[in-house]
Amino acid sequence: MIKTIMTILKKEMMSYFEGVSAWVILSVYILTSMFVTFFVGGFFSINNSGLFSFFYFQPYIMALLIPSITMRLWAEERKSGTLEFLLTQPISVLSVVIGKYLAAWLMSSIMLLLSIPLWIYLNIYFSADNLNIISGYTGCILITGSFCALGCLISSFCSSPAVSYLWGLIILFCLNVSDFSSIIEAMHLPQIIELRLHKMLSLSSHYYDLINGQVGLDNILYFILIIIICLWLNVMSIDYKKN
Amino acid sequence: MIVAENLCKDYGNKHAVNNVNFCISKGEIVSLLGPNGAGKTTLMRLLTGYIEPTSGEVRIFDQDLKTQRLECLRRIGYVPESGFLYNEMSVCDFLHYTARLRGMTEEAYQGNLRLTVDNLELREVINQKIETLSKGFKRRTGLAAALIHNPDILILDEPTEGLDPNQKVSLRNFLRHYGRNKIIIISTHIMEEVEAMADRVILLNHGKLVKDTTPAELKELFPEHNIETAFYKITSEAK
Repeated sequence: MIKTIMTILKKEMMSYFEGVSAWVILSVYILTSMFVTFFVGGFFSINNSGLFSFFYFQPYIMALLIPSITMRLWAEERKSGTLEFLLTQPISVLSVVIGKYLAAWLMSSIMLLLSIPLWIYLNIYFSADNLNIISGYTGCILITGSFCALGCLISSFCSSPAVSYLWGLIILFCLNVSDFSSIIEAMHLPQIIELRLHKMLSLSSHYYDLINGQVGLDNILYFILIIIICLWLNVMSIDYKKN
Repeated sequence: MIVAENLCKDYGNKHAVNNVNFCISKGEIVSLLGPNGAGKTTLMRLLTGYIEPTSGEVRIFDQDLKTQRLECLRRIGYVPESGFLYNEMSVCDFLHYTARLRGMTEEAYQGNLRLTVDNLELREVINQKIETLSKGFKRRTGLAAALIHNPDILILDEPTEGLDPNQKVSLRNFLRHYGRNKIIIISTHIMEEVEAMADRVILLNHGKLVKDTTPAELKELFPEHNIETAFYKITSEAK
């Protein structure tokens, strides 16, 4: 299974970098991230020892770019007819799902790596709270992992990469801005339970805990759970759709 | 040996494959014949485990395809009708990717690659990108991917489509040679291909198996002694 996962991962990474798509995505990421960090987040005007102005906007930038990484993973296979080839090889659907997912996550992590010079810059010219920054990067890696899993799942429902991108963009933006308050309020629960539920379900509250240096197990488990559920649903959707 | 028992596949109310039974032994080249929509492609997808049957079962060398899917698929090479190649890859990369998915060792791959490429005359395009190949070379690349692990069962959907007459003859010769101790199942519309290659004909219509016979017997069924007429009459009768 590991061999299959590595084969799929390698093939997907090669197809990102063979064309221009990877370079375009990486360029857009670094330009957007730096613009937002310096000009919108006010890098020099706030106490920025934890790179807060960089981490704060990452979910929105990732919501814009991750669908472009995941859009073709399944939709393109379906559109071009290669899905039939892939699924008649002696490999499990789960290993293909994991291989494709890891390729998307690795690609997003490469994007994040491009911001490392900013961390070095902060250490040289300002005082950096490195523990907080590590916690921030953990949050970033986990949120990109969750977004990639969601993006892969959305791609598995679509027959066109463009449609997959649009749905990915809409759903990831909604997840960023929504704190599920309207759903929770509709349940008419006692206020203390409402607050706990709100804290439990909201993606942004878990992410902002992490970028503020609170690496709680609940925060990490929240993102891991999203990843596992999405990958499981991805396997189900591939099995369901081909039948 | 491939055994299909009471095989059914429904899409909503439509019976794409309806209670099909057959058994194919080693050394047989079987041609799946039938008009468009007869269920040939669905049957091939059932035999390769791509889709699951609504009821019934497929056994590949005494292994149940549903419960021992991976073991069964290791023995099958499958060429779908069209559009299953990664156009951005070169022929060599595509074959290597297929071999890795099939868990082949580098040594086994290199050995089989040389044979397959020579047999299918792909040497001149081995480093060329698939998107730049002609239809004939694309068909042969697909066939090479199905043959790279030297499968016991080869399932081909319209294998000669897009080939020129010379390529057709050479492919038929190759398949006849390859099929001597293997199982080959070919879906085709071309009657001359059936006569030239098949030891046995399975005729499908509206998802049902309407005839399981040899090409010679099929010819003898009607006074015209012609497979085309036999095909026409049997499928029209079933309507």
